[in-house]
Amino acid sequence: MASGRITKVKGKVLDIPNPPTIGTATAGGESVSIAFTADSSGKGGPTRSYIAKSNPGNITATGSTSPINVTGLTVGTSYTVSVAGVNETGTSEYSSASNSAIPIVGSSYESIATITVGSGGQTGVTFSSIPSTFTHLQIRCFTRDDRPGTNINNLHLEINGDTTTNYGSHSIRATGSSLLATGDASQPAIDVTLEPGATATANVFAGTIYDILDYTNTNKYKTVRSLGGYDLNGAGWVVFQSGLWRSTNAINSIKLYCSSTRAFVQYSHFALYGIKGA
Amino acid sequence: MAAGATYEPIATTTLSSNQNDITFSSIPSTYTDLVIVFNGKSTNAGSSSNGMRCRVNSDTGSNYSQTNLNGNGSTTSSSRDTSITYFEFGEIAQTDNTAPSQNIMHIMNYANTTTFKTILCRADTATVVTKAIVSLYRSTNAITSVTLSRDFGTNQIKAGSTATLYGIAAA
Repeated sequence: MASGRITKVKGKVLDIPNPPTIGTATAGGESVSIAFTADSSGKGGPTRSYIAKSNPGNITATGSTSPINVTGLTVGTSYTVSVAGVNETGTSEYSSASNSAIPIVGSSYESIATITVGSGGQTGVTFSSIPSTFTHLQIRCFTRDDRPGTNINNLHLEINGDTTTNYGSHSIRATGSSLLATGDASQPAIDVTLEPGATATANVFAGTIYDILDYTNTNKYKTVRSLGGYDLNGAGWVVFQSGLWRSTNAINSIKLYCSSTRAFVQYSHFALYGIKGA
Repeated sequence: MAAGATYEPIATTTLSSNQNDITFSSIPSTYTDLVIVFNGKSTNAGSSSNGMRCRVNSDTGSNYSQTNLNGNGSTTSSSRDTSITYFEFGEIAQTDNTAPSQNIMHIMNYANTTTFKTILCRADTATVVTKAIVSLYRSTNAITSVTLSRDFGTNQIKAGSTATLYGIAAA
């Protein structure tokens, strides 16, 4: 028990905090998320952080606010969680135990990296040093570029820095009134999906989801497929696309760009995910 | 690069009786994108399918629009709707259809308060039609609730239909 400890900070006498009030424990993938309410008595001054501890296992996780996610737990085991507050003097007693929660099997879909374009814009974004530990990759984009006077701009995808004509693609594009099928062979990038430009309706960004299949395989060419589009309340496109990179190299970097002279605008967002096989 | 598990189930609904709608409310803002997977039918008579509708944040204003790509086994088509009071979440099979509809919706960057919201949808009623839809919600408000309905009218979503809401968090 740590009660009764005091310390002086800049002339003030501080005590350890009271424990927080435990909230609801919620099971996740090999984890339990615990909610709690900070002690409002003010005892001991500001609480700097919190420690959540599982029972059984005494596995801990720290955080500065509620909730805290305790990870590394065993699927199928029933856990309760208690939380303690920490200030400059020390650690409070642990709260009472939470309700029981049983972790489930974790997701095989993992976030790898994210790029968000800042106020100056950005001509291209690159995910490099992509780990080889997944089976497939997915990139989820939210994009707009600064090309004036049009709302039909291509979004290009380049792999492993390969700028030669090793790419091909096919697409079906819907305009709202008609359909257009396109095909491009021997291109310097996969360049089918679309995004709005500078003079398109304000605040509209295209959504695009790329699936890059079997990306570490060294015996096959690589297929990249996507669903994307944007709607401008009177214009816009929805697009299915299938692209090919004619290389058996494993993919370790991916660059997305709108054109050599244009930039993605602020708030454009690119997130890379990995999907594991069994 | 740091990696973290995501694509987390937030809520699942399986209808035990026919219902006017399925609503996911109090959606946490801690993810980057939302995904909704629907499998089910409507109470509409027949063996074909109808459009399934969606609203966010209980907004009944004319703040939605959409562009569709459709294929029905013999013809393709594209259509557009502007300033409508809902957007389409694909199709929903009629009550006697042997195949329930399967729709997947991606709500991109749903919690941001700077941009309008773009929604991608891939939808199938295997015996009738396959679709891709891009929709726009013209609001910079973060999305905190999503309501799915057959038509926001007299027809209902049939008992046994399921809908699951997932959250995808970027690193």
